[in-house]
Amino acid sequence: MSEIGAPARHVAPTVAIGLAYQVVLRQLTSRGRLIGLSLLALVAPLSGWALGSADASLDDAVNLVAGVGLGLVLPIVSLVFGGAALGELREDKTLVYLWLRPMDRWPIVVGAALAAMTLTAPIVLISIVAAAILTGAGNGIVFGTLLATVVGLIAYVSVFTLFGVWLKRFIVWGLAYILIWEGFIAQAGAGVARVALRKYTRSILVERTGADLDLADFGLATGIVIPLIVAVAALAIAAWRLANQDID
Amino acid sequence: MSELPPPRPGLPAPTADQPPVTSALPLSGMIAVNAVSKYFGSVVAVSDVSFAVDGGVTALLGPNGAGKSTLFRMMCGLTPPSRGSVDVLGRDPRDDRDVRGRISLVPQQDALFDHLSASEFLEFAARTHGVIDPDAAARHALSMVDLADVGAKPVGQFSKGMRQRVKVAAALVNDPEVLILDEPLTGLDPVQRRHMIALFHQLGDEGRCVLVSSHVLDEVARLGSRVLVIAQGRLVATGDYRDLRELMDDRAHRIRIATSDPRRLATALVERELAAGVSIGEHSVLVDTLDVDALGRRLAPISVELGVRLTEVAPLDDDLESVFRYLVEGR
Repeated sequence: MSEIGAPARHVAPTVAIGLAYQVVLRQLTSRGRLIGLSLLALVAPLSGWALGSADASLDDAVNLVAGVGLGLVLPIVSLVFGGAALGELREDKTLVYLWLRPMDRWPIVVGAALAAMTLTAPIVLISIVAAAILTGAGNGIVFGTLLATVVGLIAYVSVFTLFGVWLKRFIVWGLAYILIWEGFIAQAGAGVARVALRKYTRSILVERTGADLDLADFGLATGIVIPLIVAVAALAIAAWRLANQDID
Repeated sequence: MSELPPPRPGLPAPTADQPPVTSALPLSGMIAVNAVSKYFGSVVAVSDVSFAVDGGVTALLGPNGAGKSTLFRMMCGLTPPSRGSVDVLGRDPRDDRDVRGRISLVPQQDALFDHLSASEFLEFAARTHGVIDPDAAARHALSMVDLADVGAKPVGQFSKGMRQRVKVAAALVNDPEVLILDEPLTGLDPVQRRHMIALFHQLGDEGRCVLVSSHVLDEVARLGSRVLVIAQGRLVATGDYRDLRELMDDRAHRIRIATSDPRRLATALVERELAAGVSIGEHSVLVDTLDVDALGRRLAPISVELGVRLTEVAPLDDDLESVFRYLVEGR
């Protein structure tokens, strides 16, 4: 064998998370994607500014943050980064450089999801919190928006990371989930809304502001804990799927 | 395992010290493929293939779409067999985390992390293998493929040949015991091809199991004497390259001869038993011959003797497809 040192035949999970995080972060960081999503995210503060200029009520402000910010900007930005985190590596066939290695699967998924969250967070937090501030509806809405956005981005990115691992057209399926399931079907009733992340982020917002908002009747603890459980479950399923699927 | 498809007769059974081998018993070796089939829906990509290989260079020869890459993917655990088993270093590469650190694959696809420099890519590969000194491993691997001077350049700016060499280098950073290379010579210039083939031989001589696929017969001739031939998902021949070459030379060859008088030339070739069959066209004659060397030697003197002019002599079936057709279908 060659003179180069023999490898330790196993990569520790913390090291594997770091390696997956680094490579996915760089892979996801493209100028076009960042500019495009930043422009999309501008919709929220512009809407907030317009509402604030019209001296709107708290309910109107919460409605705007829940609709444009938590209902549109947050899931779409999360979809683009979360879905692409491993979906893009799978599609461009570079996943083999992480898969065929002496490391567990779950650190790859966790590292990729963390990378997607790293890129999603500044865009959605600045955009949606700025929207809340610009409505001029007070500090309650700002803190509630911050909390709901953080919880939402963890859940959405994790779920869309699973989409990227599992589904070939993860963007199409993700958009279908956001626009058709959450935006249309889940509006039909409280029962269906339980399986829509949007209901939980809306509940957090209502709990923190006391505003009147439809489909937002969970307590604060439920609004936080359930999305986080969904996130963990989604990442666990993604790791299982990654271990068992065919790799090109 | 009575269902084991016998490789085409004509190639001698490999000896014990000269893998690859096929057997009716479960096989063992650094790579052991036992009665493996792979289906994608109703498509059979690999059908009941068995062989074992040990240290040294072995060439997997087959036309495009023969199932080479699918076989390689199963050896690396990237896809499970539908039937049968694949063991690498005695373990299942799909389930065994540790054995993945002892295997390296050069995939056929031209996929790299284009935003990384060659050095960064190799360091990343070394780190993901748990190599203790990834920087040293990356530099060493780059020098092995003659890319040390361009290590700082992003691989996205590399030519196809350079990208191919980066992939080979990335497969060397973990000092693998089993090295699987899927069409690694694609895109390389002749000098680099020679260099790579010498590198593969060096790695094989060190005791590593080096399995190289190709669909180009001449490449296989230079890769080494051990050959597995796969066609239509089946293992159709195993053994020594020279035997395969002889098999090629023993079969009937078809030659197209463009000439000023096809009928007269064809008659002469049949009379002198140089042609087993002829097909006469307006300006050429297709000749089936069992002795291509004799035809080559005597064609020019005969044409001078007859006073006919030759404008082209072209073999029509001296390619890999025809060899496979012969091995698989006997024609």
